[in-house]
Amino acid sequence: MFLLRLFMVAITISATYSIEINPKILINNVECLVDLSTQLVKGECRISLENNDDKPVNSILYAFEPSYKNHIAFVSAHQIYESNRLGLHVKPVALLGHGDKQFYQIDFNATRPLRLKSRTPIVIEYVLTNALYPHPEEITQKDRQLMMFNGNAYFYSPYKTLKSSIKFQTGTRRIEDYTIFNPVSLSSGDVIYGPYGSLESFAYSKVSIHYDNNTPFLKVTKLIRTIELSHWGNVAVTEVVDLAHHGAKLKGSFSRYDYQRETNSGVSSVKSFKMYLPASATSVYYRDVIGNISTSNQRTLLDSVELDIRPRFPLFGGWKTHYTIGYNVPAYEYLYNSGEDYLLKMRLIDHLYDNMIIEDVTVVIILPEGSSDLNLKTPHPSVRLPDGLHYTYLDTIGRPTIKLKMSNVVESHISDFELKYKFPKAFMFHEPLIVIIAIYILFITVIIWVRLDFSIAKDVHSETRQRISGIMSAIMYHIERRANVYNSWDEALNKLKHTKDVNSYNTTVKQIQADYKNESNGINELAAKLKTESVELTDKLNDVQKTEKLLKELYGQTQALYTEKLIAGKVGRNQFVELDSGLKRKKEECQERITQLLKSLN
Amino acid sequence: MGSSTLYKPLLFGMSSEKQESFLKMSILTTAAILSFATRLFSVLRFESVIHEFDPYFNYRTTQYLAEEGFYKFHNWFDDRAWYPLGRIIGGTIYPGLMITSTVLYNILHFINITLEIRNICVFLAPLFSSFTTIVTFLLTKELKDTRAGLFAAAMIAIVPGYISRSVAGSYDNEAIAIFCMLLTYYAWIKSVKTGSILWSAFTALAYFYMVSSWGGYVFLINLIPMHVFVLMVTGRFSHRIYVAYSTVYCIGTILSMQISFVGFQPVQTSEHMMALGVFGLCQILGGINYMRTKVVGDDFQTLFQFIIYLIGGVVIAVGTLLTVTGKIAPWTGRFYTLLDPSYAKNHIPIIASVSEHQPTSWSSFYFDLHIQVFLFPVGLYFCFSKLTDANIFVILYGVTSIYFAGVMVRLMLVLAPVMCVLSGIGASSMLSTYMTQYLEGSSKVPEKKIKKNETSKSMKSEIAAVFVSMLTFMLISYVFHCTWVTSEAYSSPSIVLSARSHDGSQVIFDDFREAYYWLRMNTAEDARVMSWWDYGYQITAMANRTILVDNNTWNNTHISRVGQAMSSGEDEAYEIMRELDVNYVLVIFGGVVGYSSDDINKFLWMVRIGGSTEKGNHIKEGDYYSPSGEFRVDKEGSKKLKNSLMYKMCYYRFGEVFSEGGKPAGYDRVRNAEIGVKNVTLHVVDEAYTTEHWLVRIYRVKDYDNRGGKMKANKLPIYDQL
Repeated sequence: MFLLRLFMVAITISATYSIEINPKILINNVECLVDLSTQLVKGECRISLENNDDKPVNSILYAFEPSYKNHIAFVSAHQIYESNRLGLHVKPVALLGHGDKQFYQIDFNATRPLRLKSRTPIVIEYVLTNALYPHPEEITQKDRQLMMFNGNAYFYSPYKTLKSSIKFQTGTRRIEDYTIFNPVSLSSGDVIYGPYGSLESFAYSKVSIHYDNNTPFLKVTKLIRTIELSHWGNVAVTEVVDLAHHGAKLKGSFSRYDYQRETNSGVSSVKSFKMYLPASATSVYYRDVIGNISTSNQRTLLDSVELDIRPRFPLFGGWKTHYTIGYNVPAYEYLYNSGEDYLLKMRLIDHLYDNMIIEDVTVVIILPEGSSDLNLKTPHPSVRLPDGLHYTYLDTIGRPTIKLKMSNVVESHISDFELKYKFPKAFMFHEPLIVIIAIYILFITVIIWVRLDFSIAKDVHSETRQRISGIMSAIMYHIERRANVYNSWDEALNKLKHTKDVNSYNTTVKQIQADYKNESNGINELAAKLKTESVELTDKLNDVQKTEKLLKELYGQTQALYTEKLIAGKVGRNQFVELDSGLKRKKEECQERITQLLKSLN
Repeated sequence: MGSSTLYKPLLFGMSSEKQESFLKMSILTTAAILSFATRLFSVLRFESVIHEFDPYFNYRTTQYLAEEGFYKFHNWFDDRAWYPLGRIIGGTIYPGLMITSTVLYNILHFINITLEIRNICVFLAPLFSSFTTIVTFLLTKELKDTRAGLFAAAMIAIVPGYISRSVAGSYDNEAIAIFCMLLTYYAWIKSVKTGSILWSAFTALAYFYMVSSWGGYVFLINLIPMHVFVLMVTGRFSHRIYVAYSTVYCIGTILSMQISFVGFQPVQTSEHMMALGVFGLCQILGGINYMRTKVVGDDFQTLFQFIIYLIGGVVIAVGTLLTVTGKIAPWTGRFYTLLDPSYAKNHIPIIASVSEHQPTSWSSFYFDLHIQVFLFPVGLYFCFSKLTDANIFVILYGVTSIYFAGVMVRLMLVLAPVMCVLSGIGASSMLSTYMTQYLEGSSKVPEKKIKKNETSKSMKSEIAAVFVSMLTFMLISYVFHCTWVTSEAYSSPSIVLSARSHDGSQVIFDDFREAYYWLRMNTAEDARVMSWWDYGYQITAMANRTILVDNNTWNNTHISRVGQAMSSGEDEAYEIMRELDVNYVLVIFGGVVGYSSDDINKFLWMVRIGGSTEKGNHIKEGDYYSPSGEFRVDKEGSKKLKNSLMYKMCYYRFGEVFSEGGKPAGYDRVRNAEIGVKNVTLHVVDEAYTTEHWLVRIYRVKDYDNRGGKMKANKLPIYDQL
């Protein structure tokens, strides 16, 4: 706040030298409309200007009464030129000898100065804050809120005025009182002073209007708006709001019963208000220091998202609340780039509620890590605080942060800022790389921990066990292969039984025998190794081998039965079947025994 | 053929050992994740918010610790509570919980993970439940085997008895204490088994963590000596036990005294004397065993008797002396309650008034433990059938905790883990018996012929099949029960109430926060708020205002004074409120929405507690009952009740409200009665704020009149004429 004042003073001082009031400028006619129906005082003056000088005029001055000086929030002007609106540049200036007033210099377009002896219509709009006073200052719950406005019946100007009138709109028919200063008229809530004839410069006559105003008198005493930009496609906006009802204070007790039952109870209190977010806003949250505020609704409209915000409790005069609103918007709507140059274009301030007043704003813009060469252009004068760094998830060097301060802000201030910066594309991989490296290190650590032996003493037992289990699994592998060999032998025998083709059988069996030998050799080799490790297992394995030998013999017998007897026809059908099934049973018993033995091996 | 079916290719080609550890890891991980996930109902349904009462205090202190640092925290004198006395926070709390979350917070912030401290507090309990799952596995594995461990881990992940205290948001000491307790037990079993000083020292450290986090450590410091004592009696005392216990006791006691709230209690109070006594016994037994190797025959007997008499005499003499001189503090009320459940009811109303100090009902055992109630004895049987040093411990733990859980509802929490351990042992033992039988039987089924003498064997396999499927069914129903209980009973933050409207949609009553936030924003920074002690912690944490009494019920007289103010008539109450320098009075009133735990239902406790001290002698509970001996708020209610400040504040202007269709105005939906006085007038307080559903009502205490210095009645209270 203080810095801001300094800044303003600096601007005005620098401009002081050359400025003086040009007496040759005349105001032919002026019509002012001052809207008092909300908590703001919104003025609009249509001025018909005449240059009587002998040279073109590049700029004119607009003055505010000393009583308004501290309430001015926003001033803008436009020229009506061939029925087009042409925005004019407005800046605050100070004049020597007029320290009590506030002046604004309105510059004409350099190519279109006000030529000598010519006229032009100009419209000036301004917004005053805190210019209405509750009177009485304290009311009870059932009372209506009355406001007092102290204004000027004349048009206040550094120039002479030929004709002027001023209309105060109260928006209500309940006007308690207004200063009678003829000519004055009252029609459906509008108090009109004038028209007056020729006026000297700085004409002032105080008038007061005392009227009903039950519109929300809400003031944001402090707002912190944080815009956090991510190049992964998201902009997170957070607004921390300190809100106060600055209307007439509540006197006495608050009765919930009356508030719920009687419609005229607490008319000046604010139960809820609407806030408009950008249309693309998602994941909106509304909370305060003790948690989520469950009393709010969200509606998606065509061009915006409407939030119906209800504070935890209705706000009566003098009551305060504090809350946080947050939402995300997609970055592609606000972020432009060419190569490594980026431009962020967003609203510096956004809508909080209708006719808002924000006393003090801090805007914080957080850019992605690695951004540099920041260049900020703001639409309205603001104080830039020292840049900082912000650290959050996966940050190493910190995100560049810009901080701005503004004060006495109203809705008219809502406009875009432009922030240019450079961002090397390679930085996009910065954060994924950190994650990858972290996980990689984790896995490497686990691998090293598991694979390497860090014990000081040697654990002979477990080493032996590991060796044995290694050998055993190899043996099992061979046994399984051997079982497959038996299976194919079975198939070959079956084929033989049906086709009686001994030759083809013999060739198959040769292959089978070779496979069998391979597996057996493998097992024997491993068994020899096992012998040095575990006697018990070797014994069991020997049992398996013995039984297996028996099985092999049985297969030999079957083969003999088939080749020598069945094919040669030396045996009768019944006898063959009997012999065959006998052998089959024996084989199965054998296999069963092997299965059992293997089970015990495990 | 046979061998090929037997030797199936394994999971991902792993060896059986790797396969086992893979299974073990995946089951354990699943259980740990599940135990975290099942506790998130409240966050999903409501929001990430701290629950209930005590957690708000813990949250507030944690915030302080995170912001101000340890030393400021340690020396913190809180002037926001117990006005005008204040409270030395650093010296009157177990700081383990706050330190744990602050350490976590600082570590995360060090690596730039900017989690809010609130979220850490909310999710700390589920996180530690995951750890508990793993520790339970380790403990049970030490007691029995891996299979039982996995069973126990899976069970504790979802047991309601434990979930009730550890859902996301219930940021209370118990949230981490159960983990610490089981960790201590695990380390203790390890040290008993190995007799290594390393493990014993680790036990002491775990015990220290436990002491720093929960007052329930007393259970632990009695259970371990009891275990040692039983081992001595059963003749299982050995060098291992000697080393383990001596180390644990010495280091553990010294460490526990570092917690300023515990201080010199371990050597002064009766609760800790058993540990000291057993420590002495250990030394004597150790000495005797040593001497037995050196001295022989009758000499040993004589020496033995002499030593026993000498030591016995000295201990009794010193003990008596110290107790008489007050060096050894007598047992506190809560411990008497443990031994004699009716003690509190007769002597200390403030302990009896807390619902979680009530004896447990049978149904809540089943509600909180489900099938474990049946599996617990099975587990005990298996432990008895194969007694080891470790098994004796778990038997002792089970038996004592089932007693304590019966005495006090809140100690169900201590019972739940041992229930899981023993049920895990029981279920896994039975399953491994019957599964083997079933598998043996079933592997024979494909064989062609079943010989006649094998018939009985095959029946065995069918019985086994039936049994296994039955147990499986029970276990599945356990899962459903636990999930249901968690979602229905234990996942309400109690700070936000929810109800179903007629059309089935959810209605949320956020009145508590509405009122607290109003206090926070719209009263003077140093305003004093008087309320019943239940809401003390919440008011200090959420409204950030000074309160008179809170849930740390250390000063009975002060609470009694508040009780007197609430139960007296307006003028008398005004005197008390001025004396206590009160600005606002807050009452909870559920009559509009039917919220039953409001202040009128607690009112009799206020009367009892108010009347329990000297100043409140005139307050008699009997005066608040109707002539027929009931507590009624309607016309029949006693005059004293209808004149009390509490009654007036709750029902002020309620007489005009139509709370329920078809009932007269002023119908109290909790008590189901039309209130007795419909035009309540208040002359010493003003209605300052009432929340949307009338749940919280705040009154402003009027200042003294300009003249006379005393508040005079504006008009005569109408019931004086009654």
